[in-house]
Amino acid sequence: MRSKFAANCLLAALALAAIIVVAMPGASYSHQDRESTFASASKAHPAGTDALGRDRLVRVSAALLLSLTGAAAASALTTAAAAGVGVVAAFGPESIGWIAILTCDVFLAPPWMFLLMIVRSALPLSASPMSSAVVTFVVLAALGWPACARAVHKGALNLKTSDWMLHAQAAGLRPTQLVRTAVPNLLPVLLPQFLISIPAFVIAEANLGAIGLGIGEPLPSWGGMLLELDNSAMLFETRWVYFPIALLIIVLLLLEAVAMEA
Amino acid sequence: MKVAGDVVRWLARTLAIVLLVIVGSTVLVRFAPGYLSDAREMDSRYGDAVRAELSVEAARSGTLTHLLSAELQGWMRGDGGVSREYGVPVSELIVPRLAVTGELTLRAIVMAWSLALLASLFSSAARRPSLLWQAPAALLLAVPTAALATLCLLAGKGGPVLVMALLLSARDFKFLHYALRKAWSDPHLLQARAQGVKAHRLVLGFILPSIRPQLSALASLSIVTALSALVPVEVIFNVPGLGQLAWNAALNRDLPVLLSATIIMALAVTLAGLASDHPGEWRSA
Amino acid sequence: MRLLATSLTLACALVTHLGAVSCAAQAAQRLSGELAWTIGYDPKTFDPAKVDDQESELVRYLTAGVLLRFNRFTQRVEPALAQSWSLSADGKILTFKMRPGAKFSDSSNVTAQDAAWSIRRVLLPDTAAPVAEEFVSPASVRVDTPDPNTLVVHLPKRIAGIGKVFDEIAIEPMNRPSDGRVTAGPFVVADYRRSQFVRLRRNPYYRSVATGSPAYAAGLRLDILENAEQEIRLFARGEYDLIDELQPDYFELLRHRDPAVARDLGPSLNTEQMWFNQSPAAPLPSWEKAWFASREFRVAVSQAIHRDDLARIAYLGHATPAYSFISPANTAWYNRNISAPKTDLAAAKASLVHAGFHFSGSQLIDATGHAVKFSILTNAGNEARQKMATLVQQDLAAVGMHVSVVALDFPALIERLMHTQDYEACLLGLENVDPDPNAMMNQWLSSSPDHQWNPSEKTPATAWEAEIDREMNIQASSTSDRVRKQAVDRVQQIVADQQPFIYLVYPNVLVAISPRLEGVRPALLAPNLVWNADSLRLRGAQ
Repeated sequence: MRSKFAANCLLAALALAAIIVVAMPGASYSHQDRESTFASASKAHPAGTDALGRDRLVRVSAALLLSLTGAAAASALTTAAAAGVGVVAAFGPESIGWIAILTCDVFLAPPWMFLLMIVRSALPLSASPMSSAVVTFVVLAALGWPACARAVHKGALNLKTSDWMLHAQAAGLRPTQLVRTAVPNLLPVLLPQFLISIPAFVIAEANLGAIGLGIGEPLPSWGGMLLELDNSAMLFETRWVYFPIALLIIVLLLLEAVAMEA
Repeated sequence: MKVAGDVVRWLARTLAIVLLVIVGSTVLVRFAPGYLSDAREMDSRYGDAVRAELSVEAARSGTLTHLLSAELQGWMRGDGGVSREYGVPVSELIVPRLAVTGELTLRAIVMAWSLALLASLFSSAARRPSLLWQAPAALLLAVPTAALATLCLLAGKGGPVLVMALLLSARDFKFLHYALRKAWSDPHLLQARAQGVKAHRLVLGFILPSIRPQLSALASLSIVTALSALVPVEVIFNVPGLGQLAWNAALNRDLPVLLSATIIMALAVTLAGLASDHPGEWRSA
Repeated sequence: MRLLATSLTLACALVTHLGAVSCAAQAAQRLSGELAWTIGYDPKTFDPAKVDDQESELVRYLTAGVLLRFNRFTQRVEPALAQSWSLSADGKILTFKMRPGAKFSDSSNVTAQDAAWSIRRVLLPDTAAPVAEEFVSPASVRVDTPDPNTLVVHLPKRIAGIGKVFDEIAIEPMNRPSDGRVTAGPFVVADYRRSQFVRLRRNPYYRSVATGSPAYAAGLRLDILENAEQEIRLFARGEYDLIDELQPDYFELLRHRDPAVARDLGPSLNTEQMWFNQSPAAPLPSWEKAWFASREFRVAVSQAIHRDDLARIAYLGHATPAYSFISPANTAWYNRNISAPKTDLAAAKASLVHAGFHFSGSQLIDATGHAVKFSILTNAGNEARQKMATLVQQDLAAVGMHVSVVALDFPALIERLMHTQDYEACLLGLENVDPDPNAMMNQWLSSSPDHQWNPSEKTPATAWEAEIDREMNIQASSTSDRVRKQAVDRVQQIVADQQPFIYLVYPNVLVAISPRLEGVRPALLAPNLVWNADSLRLRGAQ
């Protein structure tokens, strides 16, 4: 209980700190200080600057707020969708269940990258970076549920045939009440799915930059900063390149601490 | 008789999935931007030759029915059609890569499950939940595949099997941890622990059997995750497997190869689902 | 505790074993005396007549015997399989005298009949050889062999730079095309593993014109590898002998480790540029088309861009600010006296105001009241280009233009650029493999589909485009070097005045050469490091 409260406080503090950093007068995530690129920590730039001379602290803070909100919302959506489909398939009529699981299996195979390209070509080229980001996270959420839905379906089926569920049915509980009782027992599948999806979506958003989606310049992309780690030239350039990933790991652990008690 | 009926139903279902996947993938690839474009069009030396090639392809794929029938003809011939990029039968490209990918996936899954099971047994058995156990998993989830690969290159150790296994084990660990924590907190387990039953007896005799139903569900999820982790791992490590072929085919809009790769993926997914279904549940799936 | 210890030991053993077994970076086994480097993708064909991509062209360059070789270092056409050649006064008759004693890799003699057959095959419409287009009307070309050592080619009309065309025509044994397995060049194709490597073996019957002996290296291995990280690691371990195209950040990494290995050869012939869509068919609002059609708008954009910053920051100093399509590396055609708009923010703003724009706060508004907002399209995967786009984004914000940057994958980008014209501005690079401006005709002729800002014009849309057409046609048909240079200078000045392409930088040629590799003489023309592959060898190899 105590650790959950502490984790909640720390998360709130992080978010608040990020908001303060971004909202400070003079702070800009896009202003390029071209005379000091890859600068080390200084009073003007507490976490140094990136390749284009932009303040890293402000960019990471803005990226934290942007990507975390987007990724967390998308994860919540996708987990809820998986839960919905899995539960309906297990507790609903057999035909619905059959169609739902067939849809899951069909959804898992096709090359969805091409759908994303079609989405990009439908968006106007001068769509703002923010709208491109929103579209990206919505599409990611729409594509992420099938794999988990099957596991939820399996879990829900197990519950449906368990003793206490049979007792509850015999006692006269209606289907919606049964579902409401069942869902908390599915948390061991839903919670890890939610926690895993967050960093997966953060990175996926950055990878989608290769086909024109994702968070556009000059908005900072957390996934983009993580992808810098694959460049050994960058790793030798500055230690601050580890800042975004260190922060992400801390955030994930805090979320884990909050979820653990659930 | 019942088993024969189940098998027929499963085959019919698989066929339906494969057909839907073929149509869906063809629509996606054909109508995504860039199907009838090639970077060489900008090269003044090759532009005309490439434009001629593209107009041939445009005639072949004018309508969806044209394109689908052309692909189906390829399948009837048994060679999966001719690759748009390499100009050779698709089967010639795919068959040598099946073994490479199969071996990589199998070794990675075995290693991932061993790591995940060991780690989650310890993390879930701890009396008080500790974030220390979660830290390695959080690290592995946060690091992009390409960055893990670069680290392996810099260290001069590790390769595609290790990287894929680490990626999978982090995800499997999370699911297993939650499933096992629940199992450890079951009343009969608490009593057994209080009575001093040895740890390995608890694990082998009580824990593992009680999570067997969840394990089968997690197995299919794990296999699906492995299949999607295959592409980045093979591309980054330049492994000549199916994932690398599918990626190149996607970049070059090579529809025949993409369709074959997608069908294999659909079959693998269906088989993974089969592996986790209990016989009695085939009727509801 | 014992269980924990045992399990942890088992786990570590498992990880170490499986990790060590498959190493992160492994190149194919190197044969003795073999040189190795990487290529980006599988060559699409090994038939030298059908080459239509860069890597196939490289394989052809390394394996094919040609009548004339365009020396990439001296930039002069030299006889190779032909001992001598001559062009008639009217430029329509080429006569080649074959080199006596020249043999194919299967020990058969190279005769004029083989050469004639190879040239005729290239000209056949069925072969669809891209190089046939260089002959303008390939069907009207006649090839004769008055005797076994003489070859005469009759052209329908004079073709500028016809000597260089023969650099691309491989001479193969008559009636026995072999996809590079039997050649008269320094190497033959020995083995090809798809997605892995192409292995070339020394041709024992090849005689280099310079040394009179076969190639020094026993063979070449071209690994198919796109991943830059792997390439750098393997190069550092000595598995590769050269890297012929380095990104600026990896260049700096290698340079820090060993300054002698990484070499900056100076500006290349290539350009990076930005342009606006001026096609009337573009699905753009009329006010945007009006902006892009306005010379003052384009000049203002050019004046707002800080090219020095682009070279310094996006290329880490390994690029040169560009103002024209002829790079300073192109010494024969470069003109330093072209007057082009330089960085001048005040002049840019004045230009815009003069053209009817005005500023509302920091936002630029046009005469019809629309805020100036547009997107710059570029291709994903090129970091330097994407950095340039972001730098240009800030530069244009200083003149009130609100720019968004979109990176697309190449096929989707080409579809917009060349098929649907559905884009506003584009930032891309152009590769110039030939210093002669005649090779750039397709770029400058208004009727060409490669006339990027307004492709395939039925008639020139503006007077200045008509003038460019005239001058380019003059340089294509004139025999006087002085007249040609004048025409090209005039085109450069028109382009500087009108800014249809806003040139940004000339990227430098960045290469890495292993200290064990001898005989390398880096050239500015591709293939920069292996143009003299027959003279390259590893130190200590026989």
